[in-house]
Amino acid sequence: MSGPQLEEIAKSFCKSEKFEYIEFVGRGAFKESFKARHSDGSLIAVKVFRGGVTNARSDREIDALRRCSHPQIARLGFVKSLNVGGATYLVTCEEYLSGGTLTRRLDGPGVLSVDETRSMAIALVDALSHIAALGLVHRDIKPDNIMFREDGRTPVIVDFGLVRDLSAESLTQTWLLRGPGTPFFAPPEQLLNEKALIDWRADQFSLGVVLSIASTKMHPYQEAGDDDSATVERVARRTGPTDGFRMSVRSLKMEVLEKMVGPWPIQRFRTPRQLVAAWASMGA
Amino acid sequence: MGAYHQMGHDSENLLREPALAGYRGAILSPVNYSLSDVHAQVEEFASRPDFELIFDPQLYVPTSERGCLRQWPYFPADVDTADLHSEQWWGALLDDLSKTASELGQVNVCSPAILPKSYSDEYFLSLVRAGEMLRERLRSPSLRVIQTVVASLAELTVEGSAMRIASILSQSGIDRIYLVLVGSTEPRRELADAEELKGAMSLIRLLASSGMQILVGYSSSDMLLWRHAGATDCASGKFFNLRRFLKSRFEEPAGGGGQLPYWFEETLIAFLRESDLIRVQKASLLSDSSTRNPYCSEILVTQAAMPGSTWLAKAWRQYLWWFADAEARISAGEVIVPALLKEAEQVWTNIEDTILMEEPRNDGKWLRAWRRACIEFTP
Repeated sequence: MSGPQLEEIAKSFCKSEKFEYIEFVGRGAFKESFKARHSDGSLIAVKVFRGGVTNARSDREIDALRRCSHPQIARLGFVKSLNVGGATYLVTCEEYLSGGTLTRRLDGPGVLSVDETRSMAIALVDALSHIAALGLVHRDIKPDNIMFREDGRTPVIVDFGLVRDLSAESLTQTWLLRGPGTPFFAPPEQLLNEKALIDWRADQFSLGVVLSIASTKMHPYQEAGDDDSATVERVARRTGPTDGFRMSVRSLKMEVLEKMVGPWPIQRFRTPRQLVAAWASMGA
Repeated sequence: MGAYHQMGHDSENLLREPALAGYRGAILSPVNYSLSDVHAQVEEFASRPDFELIFDPQLYVPTSERGCLRQWPYFPADVDTADLHSEQWWGALLDDLSKTASELGQVNVCSPAILPKSYSDEYFLSLVRAGEMLRERLRSPSLRVIQTVVASLAELTVEGSAMRIASILSQSGIDRIYLVLVGSTEPRRELADAEELKGAMSLIRLLASSGMQILVGYSSSDMLLWRHAGATDCASGKFFNLRRFLKSRFEEPAGGGGQLPYWFEETLIAFLRESDLIRVQKASLLSDSSTRNPYCSEILVTQAAMPGSTWLAKAWRQYLWWFADAEARISAGEVIVPALLKEAEQVWTNIEDTILMEEPRNDGKWLRAWRRACIEFTP
């Protein structure tokens, strides 16, 4: 179903809830997002899942969001099912994050300063710690899924669509499911579908790649001349991080990033507490 | 860091020996002792200062006839017919084990582990799950769960296997691991496959680097390697001077062990038969450790007075004293393992043409593998 059709559902939903529909915001593989205003005046994000996508995947996403309660994780308001034309559409209301995505922030040529990177890292690791404590793995940490609150500084993790989704049977299927670009942030165990190796350290790896790109413009496994696909191949073969990346983060005194993107989970920080301590002590 | 006494057949008297007070704890055995026996051991030793009692449920090969094991209340009655992959079966077993542990009182408990047909990722994940499930059941502040890990030395030679296994094991919320290394080394022989040793040492180093404490069970003189790799503690018992942990031991009669007495000599990092001991003694090669070992002088005095008399019981003590003493010197930084091994290999080279051991295979050749493992194991 295309955007405008889901938009009609969003508008209809807003009307029935006495929300003010404002505009279309974005489109994902499984749902579309719209901006609306609650009757109390606050902005909200209305997300409409594509018809028929009321399955285990959306159930897991909603269940995960309901269980999470953390300032760096998008807050779920409520969930409703709408029956339109014989099809059931799932609609969620979440807090609206007006600060935009990290992708947008990284669009320019500049990089985040060491202090900005550190403060974002500490906030997001705390969120990962919360997710891990619930026995969940987000599995899709990437700049598109890191948004900012109105202050432009407070990062928030969104889109739990792949949370604990360990059911993909093959690498090809996994890549297709997650769409082009996403494997760029995935750890080897996720690319290779090594289910027994996946825990919160998979999210740690992805966050490490995100922070590396934010602070150095380099993917830790990308050699000169590599395109994205070649980089992902290197990750899958566990041939990295590159010497150039190591030198770069060492010059910035951000060796913590090197450990976060270790090719095997055991080479990364074992616990969120260890990772937070490493970031907190950086430059101390 | 410390040495632990791996309890074996009729060995609680060794815990009472003042000269063997260097042990930091004991690993209690349900194979060689009944529930009431172990209860009595807990009563006797739990109050000893800085002494830890650990209970190993020893379900490694549950279908084997192993001493008292089947009499223990946690031993599953349906072990011959049950689906050992069933979470329900494990749940019932862990319920019973946690009750037994609570009854025993002041003991820490190793999670149960069964030797697998294949050491797959799922097997290691199942070990982690069993540990977590036992921890959920043992909510007593006085009882801690230790995560048992059974790893195959042969499998650890496969490239990347130490990384893979350590990655899975480090998912455990339990910070302490009881590592059982399963090999195929026959009794009386040293571990001598450098690739196996490197794999095991890598596994230990990786886990230790992630902040986990590693207690290596069923060690012998190879304790030197495990401690060098980063193991926090090592355990040994009187039979583990000559024997290693291998699956076939479950097919042997319990309470066995080498019946010949052996002397452990640090100068050579080797176990010596009496005739070879005499050769080494005549060459003035006994180590400082042997000079300080009270059981060494007892053995030498007795043998001088009554040549040919048996000294098996003294031999166990001599070895166990060395084990705890060497462990303490490593902990204190007084012994650098690679240097100790290098010196020992040099001594073997020096005596090559002057001392021919009665045991032809007692030639120190394993030290090359040990040294190579020390140099090359870093993951």
